[in-house]
Amino acid sequence: MNLALILQFTRQDLVDRYAGSVLGGLWTFIQPLVNMLVFILVFSQIMGARLPEISGSFSYSVYLIAGLLGWIAFASTLTRTTTAFIDKAHLITKVRLALWGLPLSIVLSDSIVFLISMGFFLAFLALIEHPISLQFLWIPLIFTLQQGFAYALGMVLAILGVFLRDIRELVTVVLQLWFWLTPIVYVIDIIPEAMQPWLQLNPMFPVIDAYHAVILLNSNPQPLGLLLLALVALLLFALGRWLFSRLERDIRDLI
Amino acid sequence: MIEAIDLTKTFKLYRTPSDRLLESLLRRPRHRRHTALQDISFAIEPGETLGILGRNGAGKSTLLKLLMGVLLPDSGELRLQGKLTGLLELGTGFDTGLSGLQNIERNGRLLGMTGAEIAERREVIIVFSELGEYIHEPLRTYSSGMAMRLAFSIAIHADPACFLVDEALSVGDAHFQQKCIRRIDAFRKAGGSLIFVSHDLNAIKVLCDRAIVLEQGRVVASGTPEAAVNHYNRIIADLNDDEPMRPALEQSVGYGNLALEIIGAVLQGEDSKSDVVSAGESVTVRLHIAAHRNIDDFTLGILIRDRFGQDVFGTNSHFLQYPLTARADETQVVELRFPMNLAPGKYTLTAAAHSAHNHLQDCYHWCDNLIRFEVAGIQGPFFYGIARLEPSITAQPNALFSARLS
Repeated sequence: MNLALILQFTRQDLVDRYAGSVLGGLWTFIQPLVNMLVFILVFSQIMGARLPEISGSFSYSVYLIAGLLGWIAFASTLTRTTTAFIDKAHLITKVRLALWGLPLSIVLSDSIVFLISMGFFLAFLALIEHPISLQFLWIPLIFTLQQGFAYALGMVLAILGVFLRDIRELVTVVLQLWFWLTPIVYVIDIIPEAMQPWLQLNPMFPVIDAYHAVILLNSNPQPLGLLLLALVALLLFALGRWLFSRLERDIRDLI
Repeated sequence: MIEAIDLTKTFKLYRTPSDRLLESLLRRPRHRRHTALQDISFAIEPGETLGILGRNGAGKSTLLKLLMGVLLPDSGELRLQGKLTGLLELGTGFDTGLSGLQNIERNGRLLGMTGAEIAERREVIIVFSELGEYIHEPLRTYSSGMAMRLAFSIAIHADPACFLVDEALSVGDAHFQQKCIRRIDAFRKAGGSLIFVSHDLNAIKVLCDRAIVLEQGRVVASGTPEAAVNHYNRIIADLNDDEPMRPALEQSVGYGNLALEIIGAVLQGEDSKSDVVSAGESVTVRLHIAAHRNIDDFTLGILIRDRFGQDVFGTNSHFLQYPLTARADETQVVELRFPMNLAPGKYTLTAAAHSAHNHLQDCYHWCDNLIRFEVAGIQGPFFYGIARLEPSITAQPNALFSARLS
């Protein structure tokens, strides 16, 4: 699987599927943009949501979007990687493709959407004169880590998903629960104190927490959680490789 | 150069897909095994064409998938220098919303072409496909023939080391098909290898240098296309070499007064031992006859018709000056032998028994299209047209005209 082919799949994902429409690839970015505008408008202007510790009428919107952009990329990468083999079965059964590289285009295309969305978000932050500090340089690192985690977990699920088609549905359901177990919409302080340590076992907690720390508070993220996540991702990656070496022949037979 | 060494492929059959997962993780067998291919070995030299014959389910598709690399063998090795493209994956990844031009890029990449290669060959591909200005239109506006033309054009220009042609070389109209065949020929001359999978026995004989026959996942014959086709036919006919010719009288439409009855008929080539013979091959037609009363002088005839129902050749015992007599309640076998000097194609044989030299006076039994047979490939010198007329050829100086010229 060479880079050019991965780029081509990415392009198909982002641009080609809108072939024939006037706006073409722009559609890829219209949805996140509208999403963001809705959040900003609804929460800041209509509901007037505020964060207790931070002032400003947009503080809740900033909190929400800071966590949401990362989560959307994560959830999308995970769902689509899980079904990557089944979705591309028409190609896998026809031409020689490295299965291992196939989902990299998904990681890439979700990253591009994230990048553009983050661009809009930064523009908005600048507009409301929210401080943008050097700490923002953490964002690429946090994002790379979460996408690596999504890819590693997605590959394990993709391999299992060929044999157990239920995994696709399972992932959709679990992601929904997972979203509400992660403090994206709410702040962790509203959770009873006894529950909070449990919530932090969630591997996505340190990621979202890091986005909040960097974007909202202009501070450095807590390194311990992120390091642990990196370790989990590596272990999952190793598990994926092991499963793959064991099952590739069967995957190809079955697809 | 492609080399397959002892390729073996088994499929595990499970009750449910999850059984498969459980087994590979827990290492306890939960399957039945189906051996699709066993110890398949062959080699194809550059510029060589290998034919693959086999009945449905003999393992052809599995072998092709192994060659293409979309399935992995259980054991054995496949050595392949360069790419393998073919008609099986024709148009893989085509997006009907995109233009022909964009699809060249898309399909080309999947076939393993680099960006530079695609840029370099784009023009050639477009010219070959004869799409002209349509190349800028979205693929959904194409006829299926146009899409196939584009797909073939990309596949053959992807610079494969081996090109895989299966049954349907039905790309576009007759003009384009011939163009494809010429292009494939040029590809061979340039040192490309060809794998040809077909049920068209004539095509196998004409196009291939060697052929293998697959049966129940094994190579049961390998050698000249002629020998392979003959072997294949024996498998099809389920005949062994030593089994006697079986009379068969099932599909015929017979009429007549049945004083004399044709109860069986067989056409068999001397080399092929089946009813698929080469042009020029010696064949035997054997007619089994039963008489229901004494007949002193009767005539037995055969008539060969082509697939359009045109009479191609007919003769009878009267023309051959071989008087026949029959006794009541006895059967006899009448045998005709002749070289099958007809062009490749599908034919039928009609047989009739009647009283004198034509069937109008007293027709005993007339059976239309009693046997179907096929002529595939040519033994001896090549020829055009519908029949071989075995001319001799000589050349000598012409003194008279030479004198006039000088």
